[in-house]
Amino acid sequence: MTRQEIEKEIRAVLLREFEVENPEPDVNLREAYGFDSIDAIELLLEIERFLGTELTQAEKKKAMDIRTLNQIIDYVEMLAHHRKNEAEKA
Amino acid sequence: MFLTRFFRRVINFCLTLGLWVYFMLGYLVLMFVLFIPCYSRLKAVDAVLQKSFHLHLKVFFALVNRLSPGVRFAVSEDVRNLRSSIIVCNHLSYLDPILLVSLFPRQTTIVKNTFFSVPIFGWFLRKAGYVPSSPTEMYGPAMINHLEDIKRQLAAGGNLFVFPEGTRGRRGRIAPFNRGVFSIARYCSTGVKMVLIRNTERLFRPGSFSFDTRGKFTVSMELIGSLTPDQLKNASISASADQARSLFERKIREAKTGGDGRA
Repeated sequence: MTRQEIEKEIRAVLLREFEVENPEPDVNLREAYGFDSIDAIELLLEIERFLGTELTQAEKKKAMDIRTLNQIIDYVEMLAHHRKNEAEKA
Repeated sequence: MFLTRFFRRVINFCLTLGLWVYFMLGYLVLMFVLFIPCYSRLKAVDAVLQKSFHLHLKVFFALVNRLSPGVRFAVSEDVRNLRSSIIVCNHLSYLDPILLVSLFPRQTTIVKNTFFSVPIFGWFLRKAGYVPSSPTEMYGPAMINHLEDIKRQLAAGGNLFVFPEGTRGRRGRIAPFNRGVFSIARYCSTGVKMVLIRNTERLFRPGSFSFDTRGKFTVSMELIGSLTPDQLKNASISASADQARSLFERKIREAKTGGDGRA
């Protein structure tokens, strides 16, 4: 999964679920769009759906400090990479 | 007429005083005589506290019932039997949360943060596994801890009850619903049960701080609908919140037009 694919998917989720249209990559979503903790939980569930895997508690906690689109993409990229490594090991 | 009203107020005042004295003393006995001496030996502190609160409030409402001959409590069996459920209720009176605690041996809820800052009482609330509603507690990694804790309690047969209006409704109107509980339900892969409460505001009127023990009415709790995990998964949380709120509004409207005076 490339960074571009992740970004495309995240942008689609932000638009569909939170009506956040075309956010700047480094804009603080909480300040600019009122993205709250409930939205963060929803986003987590969408990420789980997108990756097709359940996140661990530690991974979920890490996500709760995310503020920008770029950070979301980094986070999903890190998860995808981690999952891929795990699959290869297995 | 004046004398009748006067005596009614005096009776209500005396019975209210007696009930609150029992209420407070019951908690003090539970906490300081039973709970604290056994604290170090307890394995599941939250479960013990929840069951103690439940038994204490069960007796409290049995007393309320006994002292209010004209007041009938009608809680449907399907509400009594709810387990491992997220329950969404309308909010009419301060009695609503304690009435729900009296129904379920294992229960948790989201409590206003101010209660957690009350010395000793706040500590007990935390130990009982109740969740503070403050933004600092419901933001960041702490929120995941609370959600996982709720998940664990649901798996153990407990219920989470929430008043999504956030505050007591006024004049039979349902205030806009907070989306939080629907998001919690999705996170926990659990459905939402909707329970309509009626007439608790007549038994304990907002602003009066007095029980109306002489009134004639029925306090009821009825399961009016539910949202399954799949329904929650396939709709946005705003849509789920709107759907639940519409159902409450419709049921309240039906009760009013039904002319049973119970809305």
